[in-house]
Amino acid sequence: MTPLQIIFIIVAVITLFAAIKVVSSRNLVHAALWLILVLFGIAVFFVILSAGFFAAAQVVIYIGAIAILMIFTIMLTRRVARDSGAQHNSNWWAAAVLSLLLFTGLSWILSRWQGFQSTAQPMLESADPLRQLGEGLVAPGGYLIPFEVASILLVAALIGAITVAWERK
Amino acid sequence: MIPISWYLILAAALFSIGLFGVLSRKNAVAILMGVELMLNSVNINLIAFWRYLKPEVITGQAFAVIVIAVAAAEVAVGLALIISVYRRKNTIIAEDIDLLKL
Amino acid sequence: MISGTFNPSMILSILPEISILVLGFLVLFFDLFLSKEHHDKLGWITAGGLGVIIIGCLLVIRPNESVLQTFAFGGMIRYDWMGFTFKMLFLFSAAITAMFAMGMEKIGKRGEFYLLMLASTIGMCLMASAADLIMLYLAIETTSIPLYILAGFITQDEKSTEAGFKYLLFGAMTSAILLYGFSLLYGFTGTTQIYKISNIIQSGGIPTELSFGVLILVIVGFAFKISAVPLHFWAPDVYEGAPTPVAGFLSTASKAAGFSVLLRVLLIAFPEILPYWSAFLVAISTLTMTIGNLLALTQKNIKRMLAYSSIAHAGYALIGLGSITYDSFFGMSSVVFYLIAYVITNLAAFGVVAAFGRVSGSDDIAAYAGLSRRSPALALAMLVAFLSLAGMPPFGGFVVKFIVFAAAVQANLIWLAVVGVLNSIIGLYYYLTVLKVVYLYRSEDEEKPLPIPRSYSLALGVLVTGILLIGIVMAPWLNLSIKSVVSLF
Repeated sequence: MTPLQIIFIIVAVITLFAAIKVVSSRNLVHAALWLILVLFGIAVFFVILSAGFFAAAQVVIYIGAIAILMIFTIMLTRRVARDSGAQHNSNWWAAAVLSLLLFTGLSWILSRWQGFQSTAQPMLESADPLRQLGEGLVAPGGYLIPFEVASILLVAALIGAITVAWERK
Repeated sequence: MIPISWYLILAAALFSIGLFGVLSRKNAVAILMGVELMLNSVNINLIAFWRYLKPEVITGQAFAVIVIAVAAAEVAVGLALIISVYRRKNTIIAEDIDLLKL
Repeated sequence: MISGTFNPSMILSILPEISILVLGFLVLFFDLFLSKEHHDKLGWITAGGLGVIIIGCLLVIRPNESVLQTFAFGGMIRYDWMGFTFKMLFLFSAAITAMFAMGMEKIGKRGEFYLLMLASTIGMCLMASAADLIMLYLAIETTSIPLYILAGFITQDEKSTEAGFKYLLFGAMTSAILLYGFSLLYGFTGTTQIYKISNIIQSGGIPTELSFGVLILVIVGFAFKISAVPLHFWAPDVYEGAPTPVAGFLSTASKAAGFSVLLRVLLIAFPEILPYWSAFLVAISTLTMTIGNLLALTQKNIKRMLAYSSIAHAGYALIGLGSITYDSFFGMSSVVFYLIAYVITNLAAFGVVAAFGRVSGSDDIAAYAGLSRRSPALALAMLVAFLSLAGMPPFGGFVVKFIVFAAAVQANLIWLAVVGVLNSIIGLYYYLTVLKVVYLYRSEDEEKPLPIPRSYSLALGVLVTGILLIGIVMAPWLNLSIKSVVSLF
């Protein structure tokens, strides 16, 4: 066991535990806080994977924007959030069976892949993935179109969200 | 070094937990949280594949950027719709939206 | 390192999308500066603009075959007849939907409505021509996210908000599953280019169960878009609650977009496991037709009935997909042809429902009693649309159903064709039940006028002509379909 592996296991256990709490907590504010812990754990994995940019983006976008937005919504609809009643529907056991089956199936499929045990090559000293990503996102031969379309999507989502959430007199 | 299998299994577990949340939760915000878990597990997959396959080709990273942008749009619209439903019905319990019911 | 310079001819490959974007900005501009009482002109601007774009694309791009069948923008987009045919279909349905929307009190005067519809149309156009998983995922989401809002657009109406909300929850879940499948596909093959995946699967020795497992995840996402069983159950609730023009748009353009993607991904990325997925799709198709038709029988609300009928129609189109064989283009082209006729027919059906619902305020089938006396023209449009849906000659629905069943027979799936025919008979029964109410039943409302706005008359006129055109002269449409699928490869 290398130190990195130990770190991985610790973070993975915390992340998965937090994820289970996200889907099982009765109090939704707690669930949202557990979600933040999951997102933070994933940011740690991005650091281990030498994708520092994504670790930062994870914290800024997912934790800073998305999770906070969710907490806001929970607060705005809090009469429901504090509901002490059951937070799961009557079919939760079927959902549990389905999810377990899915996990088994996915693990089996993954284990059949020949690259399953491969390890990473060390990153080249000269490699600069962030620069490559930045250039790739605006290069006509790269991801220019998805980049532009993402902006259309975000504008449409912005306009749409305002349209339905804004109470007209 | 950590083999890629660790990341892939972790992502699969996270994905399944997220799906459980989506299928079993009653509250709409909680369902969206499940979706967030699923989308995040995809990002782990993408970044792990990028790092372990060909780190000099940034396809996986570009994919992950797009996924983050889409997730943000989806959550914004989702929460807006939830608030709109809350205004109308004073509840966001997806009682009758039992996602497993055929 | 990513290289590639900008080449002006690349613009041609995304000309429809760029033009729609410009049109969207125009609509926003007019929304701001037009005075309140002129806001109903926004629909004409949208519909007219889309019409101009269609004509422009037909003139500029169609003859320019050298642009076609090439990759553009680093392989994100493939410009071919397949994409072009579907793009024209989406633009057409968006134009018709705009014309239906402008007659609706609560949506017709809102610039946002048209803008979101145009954004969704951009997504559909990109879906039809995406050749890369990243582009494809983004295009699917660009289509869906505005549609969630459109379904929940009438915030004063409980049913509409709930429709948008349900649509979003189901859509977000299935698109996450689809995305997970895409991420595995990228990981196993090392590429996101759809046209390179199949080579790598072949040479890289990826086991069949692996590619089939991934394919199932991907099909879940597409099955939601085309509302195939077992992911169909959102459709009736959403169609019922959504504004009628939006329901029409969802059941036609959005569904056709799902099929266009399904065709490209299955045929280009997974040809190795064709026997597996075609068997799988045959099973889904049988279930989809049968369940859709049986549930349609008992419906009292016409929008719910049309929702189940559109589920059944997805089943018929899936017959064509399940009948695809290595050695013939017949199965594939039958799907494209089916979709062309289905989109035009179903738009007409929803148009009639919208025209009736905006005056009477009811979507109950019983409320249609005496419609033939109240408005003979509307009843006639309904007759044409419903008989075409039922697959009666001489309407478009008959020809395409015949071709799809013929494809099944040619692929040695005679039993599937028989199931299809039996299902069409069930379908005929419930379509005729509605027509019976329209033509034979009497009601006290018969004397009340049923004004039909000009935009509705125009749109329904175009659609009815289209249904008849497909039914009577089928050769050019079939040729177009064949040309489209040939260009896929």
